[in-house]
This record gives sequence, structure tokens and C-alpha cells, in this order.
Amino acid sequence: MKRSIIILIAALATASMLAACGGGGGSSTQASDKQAAKGPITIWYSNNPNEVKWGKQVVAAWNANHPDEKVTGQEIPAGRTSEEVIGAAITAGNTPDLIYNTASVAVPQFQKQGGLVDLSTFPDGAKYIESRTGGAASQYASVDGDYYQLPWKSNPVMLFYNKAIMRKAGIDPENPPLATYDEFLATARAIVKSKAAKYAIYPSPSSEFYQSWFDFYALYAAESGGKLLVENGAATFADTAGTSVAELWRTIYAEKLAGNEPYTGDAFLDGLTGMVLAGPWAIESYGKTDWGVAPVPTSAGMKPEETYTFADSKNVGMYSSSKNQGTAWEFLKFSTSPEQDGALLETTGQMPLRADLTKAYPEYFTKHPAYKMFAEQANRTVDVPNVSNSVEVWQTFRDAWTAAVIFGEGDIAGALNDVAASIDKLVSQQ
Amino acid sequence: MSDMQPRPHRRRILSMTLLMLGALVFLFPFYYMVIGALQTKRDPSLSGAIPWPSNLTLNNFLDINGAINLGRSLLNSGIFTGVVVVCTIFFGVLAGYALATLHFRGRGLLFAVVLLLQAVPFQLLMVPLYVLLVRDFGLGDSYVGMILPFAINSVAVLIFRQFFLQVPQEMFDAARIDGAGEFRILWSIAVPLVRPAILTAALVTFIGPWNEFLWPFLITKKQGMQPLAVAVANFTQTGAGFHANPMGSILAGSTVLAVPAVVLFIVFQRHFAETHSSTGVKG
Amino acid sequence: MSAKTSQSRGPGPGRTAAATPAPGGRRWSRLEFALGRNPAGLLLSAPYALFVAAVFVYPIGLGVWMSFHDSFFTAPGVDVPQPFVGLENYAAVLSNPAVRASFVHVAEFLVINVPLTLVFSLLLATALNNVIHWRGFLRVSYYVPYVTASVATITVWMFMFNSGGIVNQILGPLAPDPAWLVSKIWAMPSIALYVTWKQLGFFILLFLAALQNVPKELHEAAATDGASRWQAYKAVTLPAVRPATTLVVLLAIITGANLFTEPYLLTGGGGPNGASTTPVFLLYQQGIQQGKPAIASAIGVLLVIGVLIITYGSRKLTERD
Repeated sequence: MKRSIIILIAALATASMLAACGGGGGSSTQASDKQAAKGPITIWYSNNPNEVKWGKQVVAAWNANHPDEKVTGQEIPAGRTSEEVIGAAITAGNTPDLIYNTASVAVPQFQKQGGLVDLSTFPDGAKYIESRTGGAASQYASVDGDYYQLPWKSNPVMLFYNKAIMRKAGIDPENPPLATYDEFLATARAIVKSKAAKYAIYPSPSSEFYQSWFDFYALYAAESGGKLLVENGAATFADTAGTSVAELWRTIYAEKLAGNEPYTGDAFLDGLTGMVLAGPWAIESYGKTDWGVAPVPTSAGMKPEETYTFADSKNVGMYSSSKNQGTAWEFLKFSTSPEQDGALLETTGQMPLRADLTKAYPEYFTKHPAYKMFAEQANRTVDVPNVSNSVEVWQTFRDAWTAAVIFGEGDIAGALNDVAASIDKLVSQQ
Repeated sequence: MSDMQPRPHRRRILSMTLLMLGALVFLFPFYYMVIGALQTKRDPSLSGAIPWPSNLTLNNFLDINGAINLGRSLLNSGIFTGVVVVCTIFFGVLAGYALATLHFRGRGLLFAVVLLLQAVPFQLLMVPLYVLLVRDFGLGDSYVGMILPFAINSVAVLIFRQFFLQVPQEMFDAARIDGAGEFRILWSIAVPLVRPAILTAALVTFIGPWNEFLWPFLITKKQGMQPLAVAVANFTQTGAGFHANPMGSILAGSTVLAVPAVVLFIVFQRHFAETHSSTGVKG
Repeated sequence: MSAKTSQSRGPGPGRTAAATPAPGGRRWSRLEFALGRNPAGLLLSAPYALFVAAVFVYPIGLGVWMSFHDSFFTAPGVDVPQPFVGLENYAAVLSNPAVRASFVHVAEFLVINVPLTLVFSLLLATALNNVIHWRGFLRVSYYVPYVTASVATITVWMFMFNSGGIVNQILGPLAPDPAWLVSKIWAMPSIALYVTWKQLGFFILLFLAALQNVPKELHEAAATDGASRWQAYKAVTLPAVRPATTLVVLLAIITGANLFTEPYLLTGGGGPNGASTTPVFLLYQQGIQQGKPAIASAIGVLLVIGVLIITYGSRKLTERD
């Protein structure tokens, strides 16, 4: 047995040396050549049925006019594992030219891996992005100021409420008081006390890194008037705004107005909760429920036209394995043109990240007034900050949040300060 | 021995009762899953565990079949799992037999490798394995790529080795003295003796690739190639939100996934009947 | 034939992988020395060895290499310096309280899971081997959780163990708050219970097959000798299934140490502030989600070493006497 252990270790050492030598070595086509190259390309989009419909029609529309630059579209599952698929594909070198499902939180990592093409190196790159998205585009740029993603669509988070449950709780279903924290808490207490629903609101309490986007971050964006989690290399949330948001949620969990265990299913659809924080993508699935929408609450109450929220955006990345970047860039512009953005809006109900949506598509919003609120909200959104180690930053935040806020351990100010310090360190690493 | 007569009867009833109670506990998840799959509207309360006739429907099955092609996914699962089981049984028996009964150079090393392979978590190997198979072997989006990491199940090798250890060595020695070659011994003596082990290994090896979600998910992008476990998992994460009873559809998919495995077991467990192997070495 | 002498015919405890000298004391021929007494074994195990070499050597080797370097996965053609950093990754991992906590969680898990698994799977397998009526139904029932997809069993488990679920309703005021899966104290034991229940079918199968192979003559011999049922069990059955026992303990330890799916699904993200993380879960979180494969590899290597030590220790225990 001893001898086999020695042999095994020796074999492992040899194997690891060989493995290390095996990697590396690559092509050295000039970047400018690739940018000019035209030819067939592949794109991936999410497997959300409406997005698939949109994807197929945009591909067909392009292919009709560009027989030599055919686009092939493919769905990839857009679950919590899609980032792993893309990361592994980058390493193996088999990413498509464009992925219409690139999450902003993953962009720093993909960029570090060398997997993304710097869109600002295209002659009209930055100009196109900024003229389409307007002022909000700057938060999607990377630390070096260049764009490694094109901000594509957002799902601004707002507060849905179930009118039937409100009625049962004795609250006016057309205008429930939800603007200030006090009003929000009173409404929540009324819902639970009257047993109209078991919980007033039920964001997922589990510890995945992205869960904080839908409880903390949406409210923090509103309370702080549009601050990102990290700005200029420093965490911002250990201030009064962040603390008030955390205190509110702590109260909610302490009074059992929200559940502290993960629920398998959709709590709002199943009638378990009276309110939910979600974006316009949910409208279609909540269809049959009699729902209403309000902006997220702030401590002192803010006018709806001034309230910020979380963007929950999905963007498009051009990946470095792309050989025909010329076509890819042209197709990218085509698929985000006013016509195609309009088609996206029509087919999926999600908000293209285009400045002033309501002015751009007035007929759509007259026909679908339910979406109008979201379109107006889309002008005031805050997204995940583009910083190093972004996933770890959010995971660190979430771990502290679950302990301090959901389970009420320790004091909030101290917890937020500790997390802010850790995050500052993470963000400063290369 | 006469005083043993009344006791076994009571003891037998007691053990049977306990077994039945245990069986009910073990069956409960399967039962709840089937009920959930048949519900029109999801009922998360306690009464949701009872199949109220007013709440039953087959719609969830139709629903998920519309979203993911159940037939095609089942076929992919079948191919993936079938090849893995065949490869594992065939090469696993060879390796297990060799490890247990034959003395050859490198035997200790190979056994250490089997253990090591079992002990290394798959998540560690995932990305390099993906790069290896896709970039270097060119096996992305193919059945071979899906099958390769699972082709010979190390647990099965361990199972075969343990069972061959349980077989009296004298039988093989007797045959060797009679002049039989190794392969003949393997085929005529060893294999029939460890039929329960082959069954066990087959049933156990079956579950791995049948329920495996992460690897096929990574290696295949084409929806038409994905096995059922992957299709249901994808559906759970994204498509579910747009259906009438999303949880019901998910449970319907899970039921379709579980049923073949259960049926297979029902069919094969009969072979675990009490055929005590006679040793073949009398007196 | 008494039970004691017939035992010497059965599988003995001394079967290890050690090579034994050639019979009859004759000198080994050159070939025999090079290849061992039964070189056919090389041929028989070659396909498996080749499979391992082709598929796993590179990934494992790369993992080990990465654990000693400051490395991460890059797109092909991207050249990034990946300097050798010696044991820095290991130091970072060992000094990280979250990682240490995850190893403690796994130890907690193993302490609950392995004995329960061993005892119950052997008991149930024996019982299932001896029943006559309803045999098929019972065997299938115990096997079913093992076969049912995690998403379904987890739904059921959460349904039973959430704050309003059956278990808490039965316990009434004794129910823990926060509820089982989100409580710092009860999360890992709950997961251990769940995994034991789910995997039991597999281990019952192993023992069932082992019990089939116990020669009937041994039982008869014990009965002839006037041994009571328990004595017969201890003297005949238990030693006869010892190889299976070793295997069951080994596999339970390895599966437990590599626990990932259950914390991932049951406590979505490792529980409140990492109350139910395991090393493989952290490996996944840091290696794949957060893009730090070097750290993940260090965790992996440490885990494998730990598992090998524990399994070596357990083999010494179960193959004693």
C-alpha cells in the first residue's frame, strides 16, 4: 500500500506538470482584422419562451437580407447556472459570437478571463451605446471606461400587490398606503393580522449571491436616490440609507411578516404572500391574479417620479472567440435598433435599455397601460456595479445580511461596516 | 428447539409492521410527487397531500411535454444511461475480478486509483474536463462527450471487487489446477456467482447518469440532445413561470423521470430472490 | 461441521491488496516477477486504467497544479502570468473561517450519517431478505427515495420540515425556531437525516446482494449447533458480509465528505451565513461562481487528503481481528 501511494503521488506530480504545459498558446490574428471580418455568426439567447420568439424573428429578419452573413440562434437555459456555462465555454473557446443573456454581475469575471471583446474599440462603439441608452449607460462601463457589454434590457423592480388580499385585509385595493416605511409596515401588519395571507411579502431568504438584489438593493436604490452598492472603489451602503433599509427588513423578519425559509414555488402566485418585489417579466405569469403595482417604499416617502430601483438588466456581450466581429457588431446594432427594441417590447414586455421609452413607443404604452409604469421607472434604475470580484462581493454581503437581518443576530450598523470593509478590499484587488 | 415456535410468529408480525411503517415513510415522497403532478392548482397546505378528485388533472404532463419534448429527452437519457451501464458492467466486472482475485503488478496502485477517483469531487474536475473534452477531443454536443466521464463507474468497480472477495478463493484455485485459463474461469465461474452484484451494480450505475444534470447540461447546448434530467432542471429554473401550475409541471417532469427507474427496479428485484449460492465445494 | 470451522472456508478478513508469495515456494520466473503471478489481471483491468488515464489524469493533474499557482481559467490565446505561489493558497484556505466551518459541518454530518446508514441498511437488508410476503413491494419502497429526483424529494422534505409542516405540528411547542433547515444548530443534522433517508436504498441493495451470497450451509450449520438467532447472526452473517460492510462504510464516508447537492438545494446557498456549507459547496461557490479555481483546487486537495485519511482509518477499524 505504501509503495502504491508513493507511485500515485509521483504520477500526480507528473500529470500536473504536463497539464500545466498543455495549456496556453493561441492565435495572433490582429484585432482590427477580426473587427473587419464578415461572415456567418452564432448567437445565444435565453430559453424564456417570449425571448425565443423574439430571437427567432430577429434572426430571420437579418438572414433575409444578409445571405452571406447568416446568423444561427440557439437557446441556452437562463438559470442560475448560465454563468457557469458561459465561463466554461470561454475557457474552452467555444463561446458564440454574441450572447443575449450576459449578466452584468458576470462581466468583470468574463473580462478578466479575456473572454469579452471591448466594444469601445469599434469606431462607433461607445457612441452607439451611449446614444441608445443615454446617461444610464455609464454604469455599464468597466473600470477602464470601456464597454465590454451592451446594456440591452431591464426589468425594473417594483412592488406588486394582490388586490384581493388587500381587500380582505381591509385596505383600499386601488391605493394601498405603501409609500413610506411606516405605511408599508402598517399595511404589512394588517395583511398578516387579518390572515388575508400568511405573509405580507416573501422575498427569497436563501443565501445565493444574487438574492440581495430583490430585497435590499431595490430599496437601497430608492432610499439613497440612485446610489450603486460600490462607487469609486468604495462601498456606499454603510450609511444612513443602507442602515434604514436593513432596519426595515429586520423589523419585517422579526415580526414574521416575511418567511425566513426558502419556499419551493412562487409565493405570490400561490397566495402565500400579499406583496412581491418583481419586474415586468412577472406580469405575464401573474396574469390571472388581480394585481396592482406601486414603486418601492422609502423611509420618508418619495414621489414616484423620483424613486429609483434595481434594474435587473440582461445585456449582450461579444465574445473573444468570435471570428467575424464585423458581422457581429452590425447584427448587434440591428437587433437593438428602434424597430427591434419595439419588437422586444411587444413580444416580451421587458424594457429595452433605451432612453425615454414612453416617448419612443407611445402606441404600445397606450395599448398596454400596465407596462407604462415600468417604462417610466426604467429611466431611474441602478444596476450591479462593474467591479472586480463582483460575485464574491455580493456573496459576502448576502452572508452578512442573512445573519444580521433575516435572523436578527448582532447589531446592524456594525455588520454593515464590517461588510463594507471586506468589500472595499475585494474591489481593490485586480 | 420446541420453545422457538410461538416466538417467531410474534416477532415476525412485529418486524413486518415495522417494515411496513418504514416503507410508508420511504414511499411518501414519491406519492407526494405524483399527487403534486396531478393537481390542477398547487396546494401547499397539509390537505394538499390528499388526492381530492376535484383537483386532479393530467394537464401538467401535457404542459411540460409542450415545453420540453419528453419523448426525445427520454430517448437521450436512455442512450446516455444505457451505454454507461453496459460499459460499466462489462469493464467493471473485468477490473473488479482482477483486483479481487488476481495478483498482478500494479494491483495495489490501481485500487488506490479507484479510491482516489471516487474521493475526488466532480465539481473540481468539471471545468478542466470540459475543456479537455470540448477543445482537445472535440466532443462538444455529442453523446460520446456526455458519456465519457461516466463511462466506467468506479463505485461499480468497488462493488464488483468486494463481491469477488466474498467468493471462496478455492473455487478459482480448483479450476486453475484443472488447467482452465483465466478468461474461462472468469466467464464460467466468476460471473454466474456474482449475479446479484451485477444486478446491484446495474441498478446503482443506472441512477447516476439517469439523474445527472450538471455534466450533460454543460456539454450540450442543443436542446434536442439533452437528457430528461437536464430538461426538467432547465424548466424548473426558467420556463416554469409562465405555466398554469408551474410546480405541478415540474413534479410531472420529475415523475416521468422517476418512473422508469422504479419500474426497472421492480422488474429486476425479483432476481434478488433467495437463491443462496451453493458453494460448489462440497464437504 | 461447526460454525467456526465453516467460517474458515468463507471470505476471511485478511484479504488485502498485498501480493502473496508464489505457492509451493518455487522461484518466480522473470516474467512472473515483472508482471505478478496472474498477468492476465493486467489485461482485464487495462480498459479501466486506460479510461482513467485518458479522462481523469489531466483534470486532476491540472487541479493539483492550480492549487500551487495563482491561476484562473482564461480564454484560449490569452496569456496571463500564473506565478507559482507555493502553499499560499493552502494557507488562505486554512485560515478562512468559512472553510474551517465547512469541514466541521462535514464531520458533524459523517458522525450522524455513517453509523445510522450502517445500522439501518444492514438491519433493513436482513429483514427484507427474510420476509416472504410483500417482499417486492417492501424492497421497492425503500429504494424509491434513492431513485426519485432531488427536486421532488426536496420539495417533500421542505414541506414536512418547514415551520408549519407536519413535523413541527407534531412537536408543537418543542419545535425549534428558526425552523430546522435554517437553524444554525439543526441545519446540518437535518441534512444528515435527509441524506441518510435518501441514500439508504442504495446501501440496502449492497447488503442485500451480499446476504444472497452467504452460503446456506453456514446458516444450517449454526442452527445445528444450537446457536440462538442473535448468536448465529453475529457468528455467521456479520463476518460473511464484512466486505460489504467495509464497502458501505467507505462509500458512506466518501459520499458524505463530497456532499454538495443537498446543501445547494436544501439550503439554497449554504444556509444563513453559511450554517450548512460543505467543502465541496465552497469549492463550487469559489471555484465556479466566483472564478477562483486555484483556491477551489486547494480546498479540493485538502478534502481528498482528509477523506483518504479517514477511509484508511476506517478500514483499519473494520478489518481488525
